[in-house]
Amino acid sequence: MDFDLDADQLAWLAEVREFLRENVTDALRAEIAEYNLEHPGGEVAAFRRKLGAKGWFGLNWPAEYGGLGLGAVHLHLLMSEFEYWGAPGPDLTVTSIAPMIMRHGTEQNKREFLPLIARGEMTCALGYSEPDAGTDLASLRTRAVRDGDEWVINGSKIWNSGAQRSTHEWLCVRTDPDAQRHRGISVIVVPVDSPGVRIRPLIAWSGYRTNEVFFDDVRVPVTNLIGEENRGWAYITGALDLERGALTNAGDLRRALDELQVLARMPRRDGSVPIDNPAFRRRLAQAEADVEVAGLMGYEASSMLADGVIPTVEVSVEKVFSSELRQGIADLGIDLLGAEGLLAHRNPEAPAGGRFEKLYRFAPLMRFGGGTNEVLRDVIAQRGHGMPSYGR
Amino acid sequence: MKLIATQDDRDLAAMLRGLLGARGAEPWDALATAGIFGLGIPEEYGGSGGTLSELGVFAREAGRALCPLATYSTVLAAHAVLMLGGEESRHRWLPDLAAGRTSATAALWNANDAADVTPALRADREPDGGWRLTGTADFVNDAETAGLVVVSGMDASGRTLGFVCNLRGPGVTVRPLTLMGGHRASCVRFDDVTVDDVLNDGKPLDRNQLRRTANAAVALISLDLVGVGEAVLDRTVAYTTLRHQFGRPIASFQAAQHIVADMHISLSAARLAAQSAVFRIGRGDTAVRETAIARMHSATAAKWATLDAHQLHGGMGYVVESDLYLWSERARVLSTLGGGADVAATWLDDDEVSRAAIGERLRRKDGL
Repeated sequence: MDFDLDADQLAWLAEVREFLRENVTDALRAEIAEYNLEHPGGEVAAFRRKLGAKGWFGLNWPAEYGGLGLGAVHLHLLMSEFEYWGAPGPDLTVTSIAPMIMRHGTEQNKREFLPLIARGEMTCALGYSEPDAGTDLASLRTRAVRDGDEWVINGSKIWNSGAQRSTHEWLCVRTDPDAQRHRGISVIVVPVDSPGVRIRPLIAWSGYRTNEVFFDDVRVPVTNLIGEENRGWAYITGALDLERGALTNAGDLRRALDELQVLARMPRRDGSVPIDNPAFRRRLAQAEADVEVAGLMGYEASSMLADGVIPTVEVSVEKVFSSELRQGIADLGIDLLGAEGLLAHRNPEAPAGGRFEKLYRFAPLMRFGGGTNEVLRDVIAQRGHGMPSYGR
Repeated sequence: MKLIATQDDRDLAAMLRGLLGARGAEPWDALATAGIFGLGIPEEYGGSGGTLSELGVFAREAGRALCPLATYSTVLAAHAVLMLGGEESRHRWLPDLAAGRTSATAALWNANDAADVTPALRADREPDGGWRLTGTADFVNDAETAGLVVVSGMDASGRTLGFVCNLRGPGVTVRPLTLMGGHRASCVRFDDVTVDDVLNDGKPLDRNQLRRTANAAVALISLDLVGVGEAVLDRTVAYTTLRHQFGRPIASFQAAQHIVADMHISLSAARLAAQSAVFRIGRGDTAVRETAIARMHSATAAKWATLDAHQLHGGMGYVVESDLYLWSERARVLSTLGGGADVAATWLDDDEVSRAAIGERLRRKDGL
């Protein structure tokens, strides 16, 4: 085991930091604070174009698919750094969908979609969950029926984050209604601007926008089916493992805790200083110990990915650990700041812009999203230790 | 950066698992023959070479197999001599320690707080240039059986010096303490005891090197605790898979699986933290931050792994016919000596490296 970054990795980190220093401008921060990523044609869009120009949307892909051929550790370093800065980095299209197309897609899938993704011109919303198929994803009911050279799609998807700014849906559909549960599922790529697609916004507690998306006789070419018909379950479970790995780097946790360490030493409005309280010191020390380990878990999982292993158990551990830690840090943040911790996000009087008030409302998403922690604990016990399934 | 065990580390672990797995036999001679006492000690001093990380592989397997703790006492005393120097002392003591021919222990830090490296003994200079030690060192591991002790003393001008001393010599009184699990530690009284050697060529010891020596012990014991936890995790999975209630294995209940998953998560955290600390210390760092974090995670994870294992074994793991309690006692003893998670948390408070790193990161990223 080697816990030091090598010369190549250090140089990469320096390059990423240099890019962020130049391109994370006040204007970009202001736009993200006001609109999150929802301002078409603005600073975020321009920032994404610069990322595409660097080739960073395909940085971990082989050169034959238009990528830079860099390793999973490089991707992890970049993602962690972007998270620390709060900058929008490569999204799930790049980190989990594209690798699945490389592994399982047809030659036409690869030629058609990968260059677009690498340039940042194709982004996908994940069309997995349905109102009656959440954690129990294999009971999904959205249908695709073949009609000549086209698939005809009917049904609806929920928690379809980013649909309003994505170019495509990465859609999980039932193609064989007679097959048992997960055996009749396929993945089809659907342009969001296809006739018959309707998007209904759903606004979460954190202010985060997600969507319910309806598909009414939507037609796409048969070549939009990824890989083989009725094999989609294997593809999406693989993509979910990659998604968890990408979702759970500890960069944002490191940033939150760094800011909290500074805030803890500054007087509150009543003159008291949180760090003078030994109980807060103990909790901050625990947060330090936990954030450090969350980072190590990310390095471990990306080291395995770099060796070509999908670290199913390791990313489950990492996801459970970091998502519960995120809730803990949000809670500690408000506790440390006391009444001032309640000053709302973007209130000019709020310490650190109200980041902990916002984080407290945001953090629940990471605990149940991307596979609930309860199911992931099952995965750890069953896949990691061979404990018997209880009949799910 | 590559956090995957190398093939050499996996081979070493497999060899040790076979060697230590032969329960009932005293493994000292077999470990000596395999060169384990010399892991991390350079070959020029009679060691086996390699890094502290390889000794860490041993520590994890030792915890798993309940290898007698006297092994550590000798290994840690040898590393104290290696880290504190000087050359003459290394050449004089290390060949026998690294071969397992001499047993030893160390009394260089407070049993309640390994960051407290203030000497427990007074060191008086003799007219001929030698030194005599007076005072009491408490909770000294394996002092009943060890031949030598590596110990620090404070001279009349308040300087800390390091010594090697024969535990069987005149003026040394070893009073064994009865601890949980039959763990062997003693209260050792020194009455004007003439030392055998002065470390570091007679020069005062640097506090950082003393901390690094103590941290090496804490980090290695943290990996032992990880091994203890992993062993009880494995046997808990095996037991709950065999044990049927309500017509099904109790391992098939989600409540049982989630306890196992939480054991796994906290032990993964402890393993990574402890491996990181051992790696950094092996590279020459004092590694206060990494050691504190390793200790916080491993002390908590191993203790709770054993207590959760008792819960999932129920009465079948509570009777002494089951030997589960042996791991539970080792976890409790090793997570206490040197200070537990709450003590280790205070080590982070005085870690200037962490403090500086936060400032540097925030300046770099136009923070607050």
